[in-house]
Formats: sequence, structure tokens, C-alpha cells
Amino acid sequence: MPTTDDEDDLMLGAVPDPDDEATPAERAHARTFAELVDKTLVGQTPVAMSADDRALLDVATVIRVTSGGLPLAASKQRSIVEAALAKAIGGGRPTTTTAELPSAPAAVIPLAGRERRRFVPWAIAGVSTLVAAAAIVLLVVRAPTVIHEVDTARVVPTEQRSRPTDALIGPIARERAGDAATRIDTIFADRLDGYRDRTLGGGKP
Amino acid sequence: MKQLAIVIAVLLAACTSDRAEPKPPATKLAEPSDAIDQELMVALGQAKNFHHKAKLFMADGKVDDAIAAVRQILSLPFPKGAPEAEDVRNDARAMLAKLLVGKAQFDEAARVVDEGIAQSQRESFFVANLHTVKGEIFEAQGQAANAITEYDRSIKINEALQKRLLEQR
Repeated sequence: MPTTDDEDDLMLGAVPDPDDEATPAERAHARTFAELVDKTLVGQTPVAMSADDRALLDVATVIRVTSGGLPLAASKQRSIVEAALAKAIGGGRPTTTTAELPSAPAAVIPLAGRERRRFVPWAIAGVSTLVAAAAIVLLVVRAPTVIHEVDTARVVPTEQRSRPTDALIGPIARERAGDAATRIDTIFADRLDGYRDRTLGGGKP
Repeated sequence: MKQLAIVIAVLLAACTSDRAEPKPPATKLAEPSDAIDQELMVALGQAKNFHHKAKLFMADGKVDDAIAAVRQILSLPFPKGAPEAEDVRNDARAMLAKLLVGKAQFDEAARVVDEGIAQSQRESFFVANLHTVKGEIFEAQGQAANAITEYDRSIKINEALQKRLLEQR
């Protein structure tokens, strides 16, 4: 590993010309970094590492794998595949960098769990539909309120009905032909009795 | 999911409670068309008031006012098909005709009586009374034969009705 001073020289110093010969410090840094890449490819990534080195290591690892035909460690392959699938399934999980994959493989949500979550809205919709259908069926099938139509024409007494007044008044004598005021009193009183019986005796007007 | 479970539970509980406590069957009372109702009583009450109003006018010698009061009975609205309507109107016509005879308005009196007889749907003591009054109109005009004819019609109707009523008892 290069020293901090060397890193400062490399990172903060002037950018060398492409045709310039590599300095010993650059060579030592490159050799150290190459070893770091090799260790990473076999799953022996150092625990402590600077952010710059980790970024460089990510890039180098990908370049090495894609161009050199070297296989990734099984755990790393699984992590990368699961991360890609998780991203494809969607779920809002932040995109993981390749640098995080080896160190945090457990953070990847299992695909089986993702699949279950995909079916939750459909399950809710299905159950809701079933409940609604069951409610409708119950409303239709449930016993209707029985309404008994009573023929009140047969139960209403004669004295509570509108009817001719002949039986009440009787034959009208000639000398009383113009005494309509007395007869209307009789008719009114009789019909009022029937009306009261009907309205106050439990019947409906 | 919890909310869904609560909804299902509430629905099931509602359905179960309905089943557990069946409501008693409701009874719907059909309204008989010939029952004495408020409209009939109002009409009869109005007729009663107009008759008594006419009676007071007659006591005061105000025959024209009495005639006007009785005429109002003829235009009172009764329930459709109420038999009392025909009886009350025919009785009012009889009284109106007698008032008109008292004023020597024989033609108008005869017209009032004839209208009542013509509009009647059935024979009644009130129709018989109209024939009696018509006989009096003829009698007042010196037409005894016509008067007797009308009295005979009145007697015939009364006898038939009394016989029918006796048979019904």
C-alpha cells in the first residue's frame, strides 16, 4: 500500500505527460493496486480502504473481469445477479454499487420476498372483490321482509264506510220535505261516529 | 390487510345479526276506497254549516241569502263516488226548490228538482222527496194531475226502498 504522502503526490500533484516514464512511486502504487485487484477477485477484499482506492478498485475489478475472462467469486456473482434482479423487479431500493456487493450481500432482499410483495395488491383486490360479491349475494338471498296485504275492505265495519243514508234517514214525510238541516245533522253525526271509530279505534283514516 | 379483516368481520357480524333476530313481518294495510275519510267529513260539515246558515237567514226573513247559502251546498266537493254526496245534494235541492216556490219562482224550482232527479244514480228517499217537492210545485201552480203523478212516484220509490231495507235486515 502506498503511503499517504505518496498518495498525496499522486492525487494532488501535476498531471504527468502520457509519454513520461513512470516514477518509482507510481510503479510501487500500481503494483500494490494490482495485488489489491487480484485479492478482490478471489474474495479477499481488505476491510480498510480509502474511498479513492475503493472507487478505483471497483472500476479495475469490472475491467479485469470483462476483459480478462476471469470468473468472479461465487458469492460476488450471486450478489451482482441478485442486485440486478432486484433492481429489475423494482421496489425503490437504492442502486447498489459493485463496491457494496461483497461487503453487504445480506442487504439484498431475497427474490422470493419480492415475488410475494408483487402479489399483495392483487391479493387485496381479489379478497375485496370476493367480499363485495358475498355481500351482494347475501343481500339478494336473504329472506325478504314479508308484507302481508290485508284486505281491509272485509275487516272495515259497515258503520265506518261511506254508504247511502237511506237506512239512516228513512222515508221523508211531506211536511218535512224542506227540513234538510235536521237531516244533515243526523247524517253528519252518524258519519262522524264511524270516522271516530275508524281513526281512534286503531284503524287508519 | 388489517383494515380488510375488519371490514369482513363487520359484514359478517351484520349478516349474522340479521339472521339471528328476524324482523317480524310488516303488515301493509290496504286502504278501502269506501272508508269514511276526512274529505267526506269536511264536505258533510260544510253542508251542515250552510244548512244552518240558511235556516238563520230564513228565520230573519232573508230568503235570498238562504237560497244563496243552500246553492253553495250543490258545489261542495265530496269524495268521488261517495253515496252521501248524492243524498246531501238532493236534499239541498229539495230545500232550495221549496225556497224558490216560496218566492213564486216555479220554473227555477222545477229546474232544480229535475236536475237532481236526472243526475241521481240510484233511487233513494231523497229522490222520492224530490218527486214530492215537484208535486208541490205543480200543486202550487194548480196542476193537480201532475202533482198527483209526482206524489205517486215518490210513494212508489219509498215503498220499494222500505221493502228492500226490510229484506236486508
